[in-house]
Amino acid sequence: MSSIKVMTKPASSLRYLLALSFALASLLISACATQVNVDGNFPPALTRQLTLRTIVVFEPNFASYRFESTEGPEVSIAVGQIQVELFTGLAASLFQHSVTSTSMPTATSMPTQPETDLILLPSVEDVQVSMPNESQLKVFEVWIKYNLQVFNSAGEPVADWIMTAYGKTPTRFLKSNTDALHQAAMVAMRDAGAHFITGFARVPEIRQWLQTRQTRVSSTNTNTNKMTEP
Amino acid sequence: MKSLAAGISLACLLALSACTTTTVDEYRENSTTLTLDSSERVVVLGRRHYANYETEPDFIDCIGEKLNADREVSVLPEREFVDLLYPWFEPRTAPLGLKRLAKMLDEPMIAQRFKEQGLRYMIWIDGSTETTDRDGSVSCAIGPGGGGCFGFATWEKTGTYEAIIWDLQTLKESGRVKVEAQGSSYMVAIILPIPIVAQVQDQACDGIGQQLRTFFMDSRVSEES
Repeated sequence: MSSIKVMTKPASSLRYLLALSFALASLLISACATQVNVDGNFPPALTRQLTLRTIVVFEPNFASYRFESTEGPEVSIAVGQIQVELFTGLAASLFQHSVTSTSMPTATSMPTQPETDLILLPSVEDVQVSMPNESQLKVFEVWIKYNLQVFNSAGEPVADWIMTAYGKTPTRFLKSNTDALHQAAMVAMRDAGAHFITGFARVPEIRQWLQTRQTRVSSTNTNTNKMTEP
Repeated sequence: MKSLAAGISLACLLALSACTTTTVDEYRENSTTLTLDSSERVVVLGRRHYANYETEPDFIDCIGEKLNADREVSVLPEREFVDLLYPWFEPRTAPLGLKRLAKMLDEPMIAQRFKEQGLRYMIWIDGSTETTDRDGSVSCAIGPGGGGCFGFATWEKTGTYEAIIWDLQTLKESGRVKVEAQGSSYMVAIILPIPIVAQVQDQACDGIGQQLRTFFMDSRVSEES
């Protein structure tokens, strides 16, 4: 009996040592990877509404977008859900009427939205992340390049707007990379919102489309008034 | 024996903390006195558009607390203001000059939001606290029998800030304050590392907060007399 005890003691300590090494190794590996799931809220935008009816299309790859980098320290930032919330809120603030969809309306489905003026299709072109150990600057930075495709009610392209967003946050003592990147991504999202609200009507193609539409609406009103005059 | 050891440790810490130095240089460009009704508020904002630094949000909060210390100057928190005016005070869109602000206030919606909040003054804070010098080193080691650190390190921090006050009624600059704070911090490690940190940012906040208060307090004193 005693011989069994002697045999089991080193075996259990070896198992304990192995478990400890495994736990330590897992901790070290997880410390190297940075996984960020960006979440938060955005305030409603203070802006003059455009008298437009829009459909904002969030395709699955946009709604579940995750930036992943394996060069240097592993970084993964999930921005899909938050950017859907951002663009939904922005469209509700900027346009008089806005609905969302998960796919582009087709020729057959368009008659269900006969009063749509514009269809917006945002997509992520590129994401870049910079950490202090790479840039030698004491800031975490996030760049997002969006491509906002705008179509008219017939599905014809109106504009292809490349919209950039940038966010940074300074390094802080005892602040984790995850927290810092989350904050930088949120700043970038807010910047995307600022760019969208202040720049939408200034995009040359959209401005021209708005002017043409305004002229058409004015002439229609004039004709209607002429017809109703006694 | 235990209390003796604790006493000695405390004495050592006190003696070492006396070694931290902080120098604050303050400069007020003019001696204007600013009027502020009880219904009017002030907002303190940090500049965030530079690539290599940004004014720390906690520094802005600290100045807000200093101004509002005895509830004489009502301060609208920065985050609340930026959210209420979204997206007009983001790093991309915030006005860098009074001309741009005047143009912004031509937009009735923005002007109305300012009016609703009773805003009279906007104070812009520009600057940051940086580590300017570093010396010495502390090394730590861990082994089966235990671990510990040994060494001595020192670093110097400099905080340089400028505050500019904009009068939202006259749309003119009403005052300007500059502050520079420097401080040396130390880390002594004999088994356990003991950091003795100079509160440079806090000192700069005290300096700039007190200077800003004098702009408003002088008018309160003259009103009371």
